[in-house]
Amino acid sequence: MSVTHLPNAHYAGLIAADKSELLGHDIAWLNSLREKASSEFADGGFPSPREEEWRYTNISPIEKSQFSLAAKAGAVDTEFLKDVLLDDCHHLVFVDGFYQASLSSVGELPEGIVVSAISTGLAENESLVKSLLDSVVSTEALGFINFNTALFTDGAVVSIEENTKVDKPIQLAFISSKDADLSLSNCRNLIIAKESSKATIIETYNGVEGSCYLTNVVTEVVVEPNANLSHNRLQAESLKAYHMGGVYSRLDKNAIFSQYNYTFGAVLSRAEVHAELGEASDCTMDGLYIGMDHQHIDNHTRVNHAQPHAVSNEFYKGIMGDRSRGVFQGRIIVAEDAQKTDAKMGNRNLLISDRAEVDSKPQLEIYADDVKCAHGVTVGQLDDTAIFYLRSRGADEQMAKNMLTFAFANEMVERIEFQPLRIKVLEQLLERFPQEGMKIEWL
Amino acid sequence: MLKIEDLHVSVEGKEILRGINLEIGKGEVHAIMGPNGSGKSTLSYILAGRDGYNITKGRVLFNGKDLLEMSVEERAWAGVFLAFQYPVEVPGVSNIYFLKAALNGIRKFNGESELDAMDFISMVKGKMKDLDMDEKFLYRAVNEGFSGGEKKRNEVLQMSVLEPALCVMDETDSGLDIDALQIVAEGVNRLRNPERSFVLITHYQRLLDYIKPDYVHVLAHGRVVKSGGPELALELEEQGYAWVDEKVAS
Repeated sequence: MSVTHLPNAHYAGLIAADKSELLGHDIAWLNSLREKASSEFADGGFPSPREEEWRYTNISPIEKSQFSLAAKAGAVDTEFLKDVLLDDCHHLVFVDGFYQASLSSVGELPEGIVVSAISTGLAENESLVKSLLDSVVSTEALGFINFNTALFTDGAVVSIEENTKVDKPIQLAFISSKDADLSLSNCRNLIIAKESSKATIIETYNGVEGSCYLTNVVTEVVVEPNANLSHNRLQAESLKAYHMGGVYSRLDKNAIFSQYNYTFGAVLSRAEVHAELGEASDCTMDGLYIGMDHQHIDNHTRVNHAQPHAVSNEFYKGIMGDRSRGVFQGRIIVAEDAQKTDAKMGNRNLLISDRAEVDSKPQLEIYADDVKCAHGVTVGQLDDTAIFYLRSRGADEQMAKNMLTFAFANEMVERIEFQPLRIKVLEQLLERFPQEGMKIEWL
Repeated sequence: MLKIEDLHVSVEGKEILRGINLEIGKGEVHAIMGPNGSGKSTLSYILAGRDGYNITKGRVLFNGKDLLEMSVEERAWAGVFLAFQYPVEVPGVSNIYFLKAALNGIRKFNGESELDAMDFISMVKGKMKDLDMDEKFLYRAVNEGFSGGEKKRNEVLQMSVLEPALCVMDETDSGLDIDALQIVAEGVNRLRNPERSFVLITHYQRLLDYIKPDYVHVLAHGRVVKSGGPELALELEEQGYAWVDEKVAS
């Protein structure tokens, strides 16, 4: 049940403003979709902490900051871009919400594959975009999705042809430029892996440190029968930024979908990772979140076992330091018909400061009777005996703590098969928990 | 090298050590034997600097310095090493990284430069071979999923890499079969030299068949009740700890 929470004048103004300059303004169906989302947003606004799903995350700083859509993409330093782009990938680069062809390099792709910005291929890909847009997102009124639908400026559209394997990962790089202060980047990504195809998508989010902006992104994913899609997101926004991100997916029969979610950046962030599971599909959701300073990191997952024989494995690990706060809400729904469901959910948290906080809330709703569902949540501190052991071997106290904290997180890093991404995630970790003299190959 | 003077230690108000006096010279091997609950493990933890113990009286000098004033890592840097009775599993930290971090900490303290990675690895591999340890242990998490014997071997490996001046070995023989015991003992014997001292804490005489001590002390009820040469261990083995209790009672 959503609570009426009107948008403030600033955001109401953005929504009510003339949309004739927006992407696809001459396409009737898209306009009516935008209008519908606009009117829903005008009535419901952004979510309020009075809503159950938002009780741990108060987004009022976003309302107060009054972010506006960037008029155009700002400049990005070559060095910054080089650091963001992963080796051995097809790249699409978006800056401040706009596709930048000059910074992107899609390269060679097998026939029939679409890897494009919505803005550049809308005429060509209109039916594809139409079939995916707003097709997977949850039907419940969710302010940030409506806001995104009403105002998205660009995004990626990816379609993997039947029986085709894309060897190199496809990186969708979202960058907020140094001109992005107080701006809002609103992208929409549409991804479909057609029957028996296989591909890896990596979304990365980066911004110039110190800059305060809002990223509000929605990704919709369809995994058709027997397809195997790996979807990764690395959120390394500026530590003053806000990030609202969603990955909404639908898995058809026998589909395999693995979602890996790494959160390091933004002062306030929330990731929604939702999956609707078809018959005998297989869904993995792994996550790692590290909060320092005053960061607030919210991960919200939902696995909807709608059909029988599906398997889901969910495991999130978090480390909260300083005065940070972590939120994990994992919901598993097993429908009445979803017999033989095998669902697992785990969330382990490490608090490394007395002032850090974690709220972890697993929710299981099971309507079928022949299912396996397991869940476990832990919130703990570093093991004193292990600290003593390391110190007794000559590691100083800080080093011992760093080693153990790093080790806690490394379990999730070890799961990353694609080396360039693994190294990027490691760099984020090592920046926070330096490990003197360590070689990456020793991990 | 190590001088323990009238050491009294209590835990949660209960006195565990009640006036220990011991002097361990350079290059000497001392065995401390005693029944369960005599305070053997407490003594080893006190030397390594573990929290949770209340030292009510006495002092411990290590090469003339007040050991009890030093932090856990300072003791390690100065050359004190405790081989744990129950080595701790450290998931996510590989053995090789752990050894490197430990050795670098000690070298840094001694003003030495970091060892080159290649030199370091070949040095460690050589020591592993001596202990009949598979090289794959290098890349496994510290002690995670190791058998009892593998853990003890790993302690001796750490000891041989870190080359401490004083090795305190807490019940190193427990959980070892005859083969493992011989390998571990040989590892320890290889480390014996005129500059390095050992304190072997053990319940049984078995270990002392392989590592010959210079002195044997019997600990009971928090005190050293008898000291002597290696023959004392045999005497204990024959007569059992009940004999010690009688001695304390009389």
